Amino acid sequence: MTPTPFSQTPPAANTTLLEVHDLSVHYGYGAGATKAVQNVSFRLAHGEFVGLVGESGSGKSTLGFALTGLSKPPAHIEKGRILFGGKDIASLDAEQLREQRHGGIAMVLQSGMNALNPVRSIRNHFVDIFRAHGHVERSRWTARATELIGKVELTPQVLDRFPGELSGGMRQRVSIALALSLEPELMVFDEPTTALDVLVQHAVMNTIIELQKSENFTAILISHDLGIVLESAQRVMVMHEGRIVEDAPARQILQNPQAPYTRMLLSHYADPRAEVVELPGFADRQQRKAEGASRTEAATHTPTVSPRTRRTDQHAMVVENVSKIYPAPRRGEAPVRAVDNVSFTLEPGAALALVGASGSGKSTIAKLITAVEKPTSGSIRFGDLDVGKLNRRHFRRLHRDVQMVFQDPYSALNPLHTVEYALTRPVINFTGLTGTDARRRVLELLDIVGLSPVEEFAAKLPHQLSGGQRQRVVIARALASDPQVIIADEPVSMLDVSLRAGVLALLEDLREQWGVSLLYITHDLLSARVVTDNIMVLNGGAVVERGVTADVLQNPQDDYTIRLLDAIPNPRKVVA
Amino acid sequence: MTTSLPPTTAAIRAPLSTIDAAPSPWKVVVRVASTVWSNGKARIGLVMLAVFILLAIFAPLIAPYGARETGFERSADGSAAHWLGTTAAGEDVLSQLLYGAQISIFVGLVAGLLSTIIAVLIGLSWGYVRGFGADVINFVVNLFLVIPGLPLMIVIAAYLSGGGIGMIIVVVVITGWAWGARVLRSQTQSLRSRDFVTAAVFSGERPFRIVFREILPNMTSLIVGNFFGAATAAILAEAGLEFLGLGDSTVVSWGTMLFWAQNSNALLTGQWALLFAPGLCIALLATSLTLINFGVDGISNPRLREGTKK
Repeated sequence: MTPTPFSQTPPAANTTLLEVHDLSVHYGYGAGATKAVQNVSFRLAHGEFVGLVGESGSGKSTLGFALTGLSKPPAHIEKGRILFGGKDIASLDAEQLREQRHGGIAMVLQSGMNALNPVRSIRNHFVDIFRAHGHVERSRWTARATELIGKVELTPQVLDRFPGELSGGMRQRVSIALALSLEPELMVFDEPTTALDVLVQHAVMNTIIELQKSENFTAILISHDLGIVLESAQRVMVMHEGRIVEDAPARQILQNPQAPYTRMLLSHYADPRAEVVELPGFADRQQRKAEGASRTEAATHTPTVSPRTRRTDQHAMVVENVSKIYPAPRRGEAPVRAVDNVSFTLEPGAALALVGASGSGKSTIAKLITAVEKPTSGSIRFGDLDVGKLNRRHFRRLHRDVQMVFQDPYSALNPLHTVEYALTRPVINFTGLTGTDARRRVLELLDIVGLSPVEEFAAKLPHQLSGGQRQRVVIARALASDPQVIIADEPVSMLDVSLRAGVLALLEDLREQWGVSLLYITHDLLSARVVTDNIMVLNGGAVVERGVTADVLQNPQDDYTIRLLDAIPNPRKVVA
Repeated sequence: MTTSLPPTTAAIRAPLSTIDAAPSPWKVVVRVASTVWSNGKARIGLVMLAVFILLAIFAPLIAPYGARETGFERSADGSAAHWLGTTAAGEDVLSQLLYGAQISIFVGLVAGLLSTIIAVLIGLSWGYVRGFGADVINFVVNLFLVIPGLPLMIVIAAYLSGGGIGMIIVVVVITGWAWGARVLRSQTQSLRSRDFVTAAVFSGERPFRIVFREILPNMTSLIVGNFFGAATAAILAEAGLEFLGLGDSTVVSWGTMLFWAQNSNALLTGQWALLFAPGLCIALLATSLTLINFGVDGISNPRLREGTKK
C-alpha cells in the first residue's frame, strides 16, 4: 500500500521555488472576457508535492498552463506575477522559455499518452530532447534513456517500440520519463491518470509518488479527483470558480475542511466496503429498502398506484451462456474472446451492476443485449424476442423496451440538433404521438429529468448545456419510449463529482417510480454500491464473482475484486 | 442534489399551459448565413461573388452593345466608345465580358450543384452501408478517380459534340463528382461510429433518416466546401473546354472569348485586353468562391465560433 506521503518530514531546504503573486488569467479581453483564474497567490517550497483540486471549469488547468508558460491565445495573463527561481515567467520570450525547460519546469499532460509521435520510436523521442538541449553527451544517450525509462518502471526494450505498440499506461509512463529527462525542478502533472483504466491509474500514481521522493523534484498535481490528490500530496489547494478557496496540508483538509466547497467535495467520497454507505442525496441502501417496505405497506391502503406498476407484460432479460469472439486483430494472433460464457437474468425492476476494468467485456455485453452486436454463441431472450438473432428491421421492437444511457454525454447528443429534436424523434417513433401531443410529451420528459424551465431547455443546443444537463437529456431520451430496461454504460464517469450524485439519484428514482430495470455498467464500485442490489464482477470476459452488492463488496472472494477495491482512491484510507 | 419527480399522471392531466410550435428550421439557415458572414475573408468573397452575379443578371442593361453585335471597327484598341476594344470580328469586348459572365456563373453553379448532389448521395450511402454494396461503389468511384480528368473530358466532349452548354455541364459533372464522394464517405465513416448515431438507432430512426438528418448536417461545411470547390473546377473546366474549341463556339462566354482571342493572335497584335480581361474574370470568380470556403469551415463546428468551456 502507498506509504502516507505527508507523514515524512518536510524537505530541509525550505526555500521558495515558485511564487505566484495575485495572478489573473483571462480568456479574451474587456467585459466579455472569461475570468478563468482570479487573484491567485501561493508559494511552493523546494521538494513540495502540492495538489490542485477543482471541478471542470474551475481554472485549474489554465493555472497549470500559465505556470509553465504554455498559455495560448486567447488565454493571457491579465495581471500578477509568476516568479520561478526569482525570474518572472511571463516576461520570457519563446527561446528563453525553451532554454529554461532544462532544469526548469516540465509538464505532463492528461493526454500525454497521445503526445507521442506515432511514427517515431520511443528512443527517438528521447534523442530529440537530448539533441535540442545538448545536456547529455552523445555517447551517453542510450544509457541515459535506459536509466530514465527504468525510473518509470519500464524495461529497456520499450525504447525500440513505437507508441502504437504500447498500452495507455505505458505511454503515460514514457511521457513522464520524457518530462524527467530535462531534470526539471518543478513538474506539473495535469490529470496524469484521468484517461487511464482504474487499475493502471493506481499503478501510475504510485510511480509518480515514488519518483517525487527519489528525484526530489517539486510537483504540482492537478486533478479533479480529491481522493487521488489526498493520497499523494502533502498540501492541497482547492480551486473553485477561478479562486483558491482553501490551501492547507492534506491531513487538515481531510480532518478539518474549512471551505464549504471542500466539505461538499469530501462528502462525495465513501468506502464502498463500509457497513453503511451514504452519499449526498442517498441514504444507505439497506435502510432505504426497509423504509420502502413500510411505505409500500402503507401504500396498499391508499389507491395511488402509478400506472407503471400495474403493467403486466414486464419481461426479464435472460442471458444464457453467451460468448463473443472477435477475429484476431493481426494475423497470427489469437482471436479476442471479449465475453466468455456469461449467463444472468435481469428481472423486471431489478438493478444489476456489471463491474470490471476496461477490456473486461462489460461494454460488449451491453452491445450484445441491445442487439448492436451478435453473440458468437449462446442466447439472449427478452420476452418473445430472440435478441441474439434479431434482424436490423426489428430493432424498433427491441428498443421500445430496452434503452441505453451513454457514457459520454458530450458525444451522445448530435451537436446540431436542439434538445427538442433529440427528444421528439423517439417520441414520434415509439409512441406515435405527433404535433402538439409529441411536444407535450417532450416537455414532460424534460420535467421528469429535472430540467426546468422546460421550454427554455427544449430550445437549447447541446453545447449550451453542462455535462450533467446533457446527461439528463440523454436519460430523458432513453425514457421517451417508456422502456422496461435501461442500460447505463458508465453514466457518470465523465461528470464532475458534485454532479454524479444528482444523475445517480435520478436513475434510482426512475427505477423505483417507473419499475424500470437497470443494468448499471461501471468500474466505480462506490456508485455500484449505492444504486444496485446485485453485482457481477467481470474479468477477461468471464464472471469471476456475483452476488448481493453489499455482500460482495464487504467480503470480496476473488483476487480481482479485491484489486479493484484497493484501486479506489479514498481519502479516508490515508487516515486509517 | 435531489430531483423532484412530479407524478406523471398529474403532468398529463394538467398540460403545460402554453405549447408553442417547435422552433422554425429557418433559424438554422440564418445561423449558417451569419456564421459565414462573420468571417472577414468570406465576406470579401461573398461581395465579389455578388458583384459578378449582379453584373451577369443585369448585363442586358449595363452592356453598351449586344454580345453578338458586329460591325464596329475590327481589332480596335480601347477607346471611349469601346473601353476594352473590339474583337477581330468587330464585337465590343466589354459587352462580351458582361454577357459571358452569365454563362460562366451559370455553368459553375449548376455543374457544381449537380456534382455535389451526386457526391453527397453516393458518398453518404457508401459510408454508411457495409459489405458487398460498399465494394461495388468503391470499384466505380475508383474507376472515375484513376482516369485522368482532362483527357476524359475531351473524349466525352468530342463524343457529345454540338450539345452546347448542357453538354459542358454533363461533362463537368461526370468527371467531377468522384473526389467529393470519396471525401464525404470517409467523414461519414468516422461519424457513423459516434455515440449520437448509435443513439439515433436507439431512438428508432430508419437508416435513411440517420444518414440524412443526423450525419449529413454534421458535414455541412464539407459539403458546402465541396460545392464551392466543384463550382470553381466547373468554371475552370468550362473555360478550358471552350478554349480548346470543344464547346459551342458561337456562344459568348469567357472560354470562347479566350478561344477567339487565341485564334486571332490577340497577343501578337498587342490586344492584351482580349486575353487578360476574361482570364482575370475567371481567376477572380474562382477566388471569390475559395474565399467563401474559409467562412464555411465554422458552420458544422459550433465550438469554432462560440467559446465554450472544456
